[in-house]
Amino acid sequence: MIGIVVVSHSPALAEAAVALALEMVPGTKPPIVIAAGAGDGIIGTDATRISSAIEHVASPDGVLVIMDLGSALLSAELAVELLPDPDLRVKLTSAPFVEGLLAAVVRAAGGATLDDVEREARGALAAKVAQLGEEEQDPAVEPRGIGAVQQVVELELSNPSGLHARPAALFAAEVAKFDATVTVENLRTASAPMRGDSTIALLTLGTRRGDFIRVAAEGPQAAEALAAISALVHDGFGE
Amino acid sequence: MAAASVSLSQLTAWLARFRDLVTEQRDYLTELDSAIGDADHGANMARGMGAVLDKLDDTEATTVDELFKGVGMTLVSSVGGASGPLYGTFFLRMGVTAGAVTEMDAAALGAALRAGLGGVIARGKAELGDKTMLDALSPALDAFDAAGDNVAAAANAAYDAAVVGRDDTIDLVARKGRASYLGDRSAGHLDPGATSTALLFQALAESLS
Repeated sequence: MIGIVVVSHSPALAEAAVALALEMVPGTKPPIVIAAGAGDGIIGTDATRISSAIEHVASPDGVLVIMDLGSALLSAELAVELLPDPDLRVKLTSAPFVEGLLAAVVRAAGGATLDDVEREARGALAAKVAQLGEEEQDPAVEPRGIGAVQQVVELELSNPSGLHARPAALFAAEVAKFDATVTVENLRTASAPMRGDSTIALLTLGTRRGDFIRVAAEGPQAAEALAAISALVHDGFGE
Repeated sequence: MAAASVSLSQLTAWLARFRDLVTEQRDYLTELDSAIGDADHGANMARGMGAVLDKLDDTEATTVDELFKGVGMTLVSSVGGASGPLYGTFFLRMGVTAGAVTEMDAAALGAALRAGLGGVIARGKAELGDKTMLDALSPALDAFDAAGDNVAAAANAAYDAAVVGRDDTIDLVARKGRASYLGDRSAGHLDPGATSTALLFQALAESLS
């Protein structure tokens, strides 16, 4: 599992953001270390703290660093230069602080790779963008191309609030277990197909109770993936 | 008159003088920063340079690279704002370029300062005219290099150029840092980072005269 370093000017801001994100992860949580403030209650960032935090959560899976603003970026870049081991895999992400952290934590808990987690975090504004009807510009939401044979099921969402945050996270985590590419459409809104392994992409579907979704899968484990997802949906995500 | 080279103790005196200047002008720097930033530049620089000198009192550096690397690391961990990684990188790169020497002639000091400038550019990704410390730092180093091999004269020339560069930031519109959120409203104010950079060269000129 990758490690996550949360860099903020304010320890209070970082702690609250981490607490919010961890609400989404019922099981094993990814290693997270906060590097916030400049010590002695000073609002600011400290490259040496960030560097130590990276070392603390480092593993061969890599480390994602998410920052708030301004000097946090400069300090994080310098922190990477200060690392004693230049071969550590570290990615700094431009993801929005709160949404990106939440997406990253959920995705990392599912065992995704550093690149996947970073992409998911960076695409984390998609739900907000879609809600406010702004132009879609989310790299995490890539409609499937045409190609291999797809298997398709249509499922009714019977749980109280559709694919909202927690069910979406469970859905994406389930999809990630299989060697299959899964897309999901909301049939009520005739949405575009969204990536089934992305919590954020699923949130943009805007589903609610009683909606039918079309789930398409392709790849070696397409059938197994659809079976597992069907069971999860029929079970109402345990709600 | 000025010697042809700068000793380790003169470089330490430079840092002490810089600490004194940013401490004396703490409120002024913060006032400049409150106009276009987050009102902490004076406090940040005074705290950072205070920590630098405290550390030098505890453990004296024996070579120039040791001195500047120590300064850089202390600034990085004690300043808090963007000046921490910027001034920190400046001194860290100066140390790497200076090497394990105990004195520097004008060319060596110029090369180290130039490496520091490169670090500031790499870290902040600012360009000339963005209303940053670079607008004082870059012309100061051009003047230093052009002044020849008298290191005190070079430091004076650099200080004069830094002051001109600092004052020229008044008319500029900020394109980096928090001031850039203000857009055109950032014009009409001195840049706090360019102002503290001018103090850095004032300190150098005074400690070498």
